[in-house]
Amino acid sequence: MGQRLAEDDPSSRIDRFNRHGLVMAIWAPAVFVAVVLFHAGYVHTTNWWFVAAFGSLITAFCAHIIVNVVLKTGFTTRETALGSTILVVLTLGYLITILTAPDMLVDRLMMPIGIGLGMLVVVVVVSMLISFGPRRAFEKFDVVRDNNLRAASRLPHRGGRR
Amino acid sequence: MTFLLLITLGLLFVYALYFAAQTARIGSNPRDFLDGAMMLPSWSVMFILPAIGVTALGIERHLLLVSYYGLQASHIAVGMITLAVAAVMFWNRLWVATRLAGLHTPGEAIGRYYDSIALRVIMMGMCVLFALPYSANLLSQAALLLQQATNGTISREMAVWVFALSMAVPAIIGGWRAVVMVLAMEALLMAILIPGIMLFGEIVLSGDIFPNRPMPVDEGIFWDRIPGVLQGYAGVGKNVPTGGIFTAVAISSTAISLAGIVLSPATLYLGQTARNGPAFGISAVWLTGGLAAGILLLVVPVLAARMPAGLVTYAEALAAIVPLAGVSVILLGVMGAIFAISFFVTGGTLLVFRELVHTYLFPNLTERGQRLGARISLGFGFFLLGLMAAFMPFVSAVFASVALPLALQLLPAMVGFAFMRWISRGAVLAGIALGSLLVVFTEPLGLIIFEGLFIDLPWGRWPLTIHSAGWGLAINLLIVFLSSVAKLSGPEMYQRSRFHRAMKVHPPATTARSGLLWGLAILWGFLAYGPGAILGNFFFSDPIFTDLKSIIGVPSLWVWQMLFWLFGVVLVWWLSYSVGYGHTHEVNGKPIRLGMPHATRSPDWISSGLRRIVNRSGDASPDNPDRVSERLLLPDLEVKQPAVKPKLGRTRHS
Repeated sequence: MGQRLAEDDPSSRIDRFNRHGLVMAIWAPAVFVAVVLFHAGYVHTTNWWFVAAFGSLITAFCAHIIVNVVLKTGFTTRETALGSTILVVLTLGYLITILTAPDMLVDRLMMPIGIGLGMLVVVVVVSMLISFGPRRAFEKFDVVRDNNLRAASRLPHRGGRR
Repeated sequence: MTFLLLITLGLLFVYALYFAAQTARIGSNPRDFLDGAMMLPSWSVMFILPAIGVTALGIERHLLLVSYYGLQASHIAVGMITLAVAAVMFWNRLWVATRLAGLHTPGEAIGRYYDSIALRVIMMGMCVLFALPYSANLLSQAALLLQQATNGTISREMAVWVFALSMAVPAIIGGWRAVVMVLAMEALLMAILIPGIMLFGEIVLSGDIFPNRPMPVDEGIFWDRIPGVLQGYAGVGKNVPTGGIFTAVAISSTAISLAGIVLSPATLYLGQTARNGPAFGISAVWLTGGLAAGILLLVVPVLAARMPAGLVTYAEALAAIVPLAGVSVILLGVMGAIFAISFFVTGGTLLVFRELVHTYLFPNLTERGQRLGARISLGFGFFLLGLMAAFMPFVSAVFASVALPLALQLLPAMVGFAFMRWISRGAVLAGIALGSLLVVFTEPLGLIIFEGLFIDLPWGRWPLTIHSAGWGLAINLLIVFLSSVAKLSGPEMYQRSRFHRAMKVHPPATTARSGLLWGLAILWGFLAYGPGAILGNFFFSDPIFTDLKSIIGVPSLWVWQMLFWLFGVVLVWWLSYSVGYGHTHEVNGKPIRLGMPHATRSPDWISSGLRRIVNRSGDASPDNPDRVSERLLLPDLEVKQPAVKPKLGRTRHS
């Protein structure tokens, strides 16, 4: 009920929209710059361009965290879902490319992009560890416990910590 | 490159459309369409101010000037500090005044403070000047750039209409808030693109980096120094100045003219509609004085040294290596223009709607009616913009040249409004009239008309290498200060004193601190871009205190610019944080009543004219025509409503 009221409140809606605008204003230029740098890396066969491209994405991620801290918010469900989906799609695309692309292309792209994707995951994990601590960071992925919808599961002696 | 460029521009349009639709879906009060509920997010204002400063210079124009004149042209960028100072002070005062006296637009603020309809009309004229010829000139240039970049695949006229439409649709759907949020993203993208393109170019292109590679200027132009304090020069079109046009006085007058962009109605409106908080300080100190001025002083000369033939040639050189990099260069040029166009046309049109259409033509519009009216006005505004840019590029360019210097003529009016209560209405109006006359006659507008109709004038554009804004402001200030002395009493003065006392509480500044601050500011101005800047020509390469030569590897003037840029940041920091102009707080307390009659209504001739054309039911009742067409300009709080107790029939004033 309380959540519904917050959603109906125009000032709260405007605040959420303002935050969304700021997050998009950070990510949109960063993604554009990353695309240009990926393009440069692909055309120019220099790994430093890939490093810079992933650096641009990581910078945007850090800026997003700063926004969360300043505005006292966290990643929204939609942001988490979108980010996870994009990361999974990129990883799948990367794996498919390695399996199907010509050897020359694989030789050029495997190392820099693989390390870059790995770095993105590491950055996300490190940020979670810093923000939530090891236990709460792990609990974010503890789907089995969170799936137990019985009210009794919330009781401390039943192990509920939700 | 053409295909990639079009896709990128298309994505920019989709982004704007997305935010416009999201804004429309929030479902806030329809009247918020016009002013974002006076609660624009702080971050958007923070990002937009430096970009407004950069577009006041004009990205493509500034790059060309620097590649043509070298560091003397680049020196103008020190003026970003002046712009930051003007912005933080006037935005703060206007923001406080808006909340204190229930003001809605800059025109209303100035008009009510001086009790002058003429000043409101002048403000509206400024809105039109920035929204039409100024923006049309930028649009025409952006369209020309696109035509060149696509090798004529997209003609200039077609590009004009596509750009106009792509800016109009988001503005019509989302209003002021949506436009501001999109512009904030574009500002951030520009801040990344300028140094990004420079770095990329230096890495992939062959040849030395500036200053190892000297600026490719024409013979006789001093690219690494300022050509004197002042030159006996008749003006552009009459003769050629020695060593370049940017003398110390030219630099200072041009740098001061940049403050004109802060005094443009749309920019004042942006500050007025911002949310309270530390946005003004962060924007002025770190993003405008720090980042934007730094990029212009450090990055632009390096970039300009690579592009003597303009943006398109440079973009083609980069596109040959990485096509998307070439696209980024064109995107930078185009975005610099459409940023300013979107801002000034949307802001200007909304202000004209509020000031003219809603106040005098249709005073009884409901909130939904206001939104509809604003949407129609925006459509009309962008259509006129396209018309001017497509079919009148020359006229637009001529009128655009006077926009900034004319806006600067509002400086005494704003200073009076914000700080000096003894500046009178008559003085302000006389100053604006004569200052504007001088501006017009030292720019192509007046020169072309006068020389076409009568005889050749002995001077051209910017005589004695003084910018038209400098000529106009000098005579303007002289008149204002001389004539204000004569009129210092009366009921007006009492009201103003009350208003200024109430404003003084936000922020609490001490006189001692202010005196020291202004003393240092004048000293800084003298050395940074005043006559003292000439010392920078050789100060670090041939020190005056020794016979030895110093080998620093970069031009002495460049080091001087960097040094005074850093001092300038400290100055803005002091003003914003130590004095306190950089932070706005919630304004509480009794509202102030400012000038003007309690209510105004449509002038009779407008009312009767409209009644002849439109049969507006409910707008005017035949028994009492004045009653319904009356619109209260003062905030509701000021109007004392009689509290009537039911059935007793007694009236008590609360």
